[in-house]
Amino acid sequence: MSPPADTRGLRRAGLGSDVWNAIALFGLTALLIIASRWISSGFGGWEQTKAILVLSSFVVVVAFGQQLVILTGGLDLSIASVMTIGGVLTFNFVGASPTALIWGVPLILLVTAAIGGLNGIGVVWLRVPPFIMTLAMGIIVYGATLGITGGTPRGQASPALSALFTASVLDVPLVIYFMLAITICGSVVQLGTGFGRRLYAVGTNPAAAYIAGLPVRWLTFLTYAISGASAGLAGILMFGYAGGATLTMGQAYQLPSIAAVVVGGTSILGGSGLYIGAVGGALLLTTFSTVISSLGIAEGWRTVIYGLVILLALLVLREELYLWAGQLVARPVPLRQPGEPAAKPDA
Amino acid sequence: MNAPVSNAVTRSLLRRLLGNGTLIVAFIYALLFTIFASRQSDALSQTSITDLFNNAAPLALAAAGGSLVVLTRGFDLSVAGVVALSNVLMATQVGEGPQQALLGLAVVCTAGLLVGAVNGILVAYIRLQSIASTLATMIVTSGLALLVLDAPGGTVPDFVADTLTDSAAGIVPVAALILLAVVLIWLLLRRTDWGVALYAVGADETAAGLAGIRTRRVKFFAYCLAGVFYALSGYMLSALTATGNPNAGNSYLLLTFAAIAIGGTSFSGGRGGVVGAMLGAATLTLLQKVLFSAGVSSFYTGIFQGVVMILAVLVAATSDRFASGRRA
Repeated sequence: MSPPADTRGLRRAGLGSDVWNAIALFGLTALLIIASRWISSGFGGWEQTKAILVLSSFVVVVAFGQQLVILTGGLDLSIASVMTIGGVLTFNFVGASPTALIWGVPLILLVTAAIGGLNGIGVVWLRVPPFIMTLAMGIIVYGATLGITGGTPRGQASPALSALFTASVLDVPLVIYFMLAITICGSVVQLGTGFGRRLYAVGTNPAAAYIAGLPVRWLTFLTYAISGASAGLAGILMFGYAGGATLTMGQAYQLPSIAAVVVGGTSILGGSGLYIGAVGGALLLTTFSTVISSLGIAEGWRTVIYGLVILLALLVLREELYLWAGQLVARPVPLRQPGEPAAKPDA
Repeated sequence: MNAPVSNAVTRSLLRRLLGNGTLIVAFIYALLFTIFASRQSDALSQTSITDLFNNAAPLALAAAGGSLVVLTRGFDLSVAGVVALSNVLMATQVGEGPQQALLGLAVVCTAGLLVGAVNGILVAYIRLQSIASTLATMIVTSGLALLVLDAPGGTVPDFVADTLTDSAAGIVPVAALILLAVVLIWLLLRRTDWGVALYAVGADETAAGLAGIRTRRVKFFAYCLAGVFYALSGYMLSALTATGNPNAGNSYLLLTFAAIAIGGTSFSGGRGGVVGAMLGAATLTLLQKVLFSAGVSSFYTGIFQGVVMILAVLVAATSDRFASGRRA
C-alpha cells in the first residue's frame, strides 16, 4: 500500500481532496436517484429518496465510530456483533416500556461503549493488532449474545423507537432528522474540537503525536469506545425499524461500514478523511443496492454489480484525481518529495 | 570476534524459537490434543484422526493462502468468495470419475488464480487499499457463485467426495497427505527468490524496493497463489460436504483470519508463515471438538475462539519481546 499523498497544503488552500470526494459522492447519489426514474416510474421521487435515507441511517450511524477508528489507523471488525447485542439487549430489557427506554438506552450505549473500550484496551495497552483484537471481540460478543438469549432473542417491540421511523414532521421521517443531527454533530466533533483534530495527528504519525505531548493512547482508546457506542446506537435504531431483534441483524453491516468509510475517502492507513465523506459513501452504496435490487434481476447479478460498483468507486474516487481537481481551483502546492519519509511509520 | 558471532548465533536461534509463532501454536495444539485425548477414549482411533484432518483441511488451505497475503502486509477478504465459487462449481459442473475430478480441480484453480490475479493487479499495480479492493472482489465472486447455483443444492461427484476424505492404504488420511504436500511446497517456495522477497516486502517495502526487489511482482504473485489456495480449500470443502452452497464461504472469512492470527503470522507483515497458519486452522477446529467433548454449550464456542485468538497473539508478542530483549 502506498502512503497517502500529502493533501495538507491543499487543505490549507481551501478545498482538500476529502471535500471534493464528499461533494462527488453526494452528487453521484443525487444523480443516481434521479436516473432511477428510467428504471421504474415510482422511482426518482421524494418517496424513494425518503426510503433510501431511512435505510442508510444505520450505516451512517455505524460509520461515525468506524471512521474515527480508521482515521487513527485502526479498524473495527466487531461492529456486526456489537450492533446485534445493542439491538438484542433493547429488545430483551427495554421492550415496549417508555420508562425503561429512558434509562435503558443510555445504559445499553454504555455497555456497547465498554465493549468498544475493551477493544481499545487490547489495541492500545496489550498491543494486539486492531484487526485481530476487534475480530476476536466480535466473535466473543456474538458468543455472549447467543448465550444470553439461548439462541432466540425474545422481547417486545418499542413503540417509541418505531415512531422514529413511522412518524414524520413536514413529510420527513424523524429518523432522517436524527441522522442529520448525527452527521452535523459528528462533523463538528471531528473538525471543530481539539479531540477531533488531534485524531488526525495520531493517525498521521502516532510517534510524532506522542512526542508533541498528545495523549495518543487515550485518544485511540476513545475512538474504539465511541465506535462501540455508535454500533450500539445503530443496533437500537435497527431494532426500532424492525420491531424486533435477531442474532444476525448486524451481520449485513460489517463490511458496508468499512466500504462506506473507504469509498468516502478515508485512507485505511489513517490520518486523512472526513466523516461527511463516509456519510456520502453510505448514501451512495445504499442507493446503489436499493436501485439494483429493484432491477428485477437474479441475486447473483445484483451482487456482482454491487461489488463492481465498489471497485469502480475505488478506482475513480482516487486521491490523485481530487488533487488534480483541487489544483484547478486552488493555488498549486508541491506534493511530497520522493525522498521524504513516509507519513506513517510502522506500528 | 569469535565470541560475539557465536553469541549472535545463539541469540538468533533463541529468537527464532521463541519469536516463532509456529512453535507456539504447535504447543497449543499439542496441549489441546492431550485434553481431547484424555476426554475421548477413541481420540487416537483411525476414524477420529481422519475426521480431525478432514475437518481441518479446508480451513487450513484457506489460511495458508491468506497468510501469504498477510505476509506482504495486505488483507485478502476474497477468500469467502473464492471458496464459495469453487464449491458451487464442483457441485454443478463436474461429472463422475477421476478424469472429471482432475478437470474440476483445473477449473476451480483457474478461477481462483483469476480472482487472485485481479486482486494482485488492483493492490500491487493500481495500488488500491487491499482491504477495500479485496472486499469488492469478494462481493463480485460471491455474486458469481450465486449465478452458478442460486440456492444450496447440487451434488459433488462421489469420486471426489470419497477419495479425498478416505485414508490412503487405510492408514494415512488423504487430507493429511494434501496438507503435507502444501507444507513441502511452501518450504521449497520459501527458499526461492520469491519466498525470500515475500518476507522482505512485508518487513519493509521501501527498503525491499531499494534493494532491487521487484516488490509489485512479488505482491502480485502472493495474491495469485493465495487465490489458488482458496480454490483448493473450496475443492476440499466440497469433498467434505458433498454438496454445493453459494454461501459456503461466509464462515471462512473470520475463521481464516483467526487461524492466521493464532498461527503467529504478524499482521504488520514480514513475520510468520504458511505452516503456522495451517496449524492455527487445525487448532481452531480441534478447539470446537474439545469444547464439545467437555460439554460446553456450542453457544459459547465463539467466546473461547476469540479468547484463544487474543491469547495466541499476546503470547507470541511477549515471547518475541523476550527474545528480542536478549539482543540488548
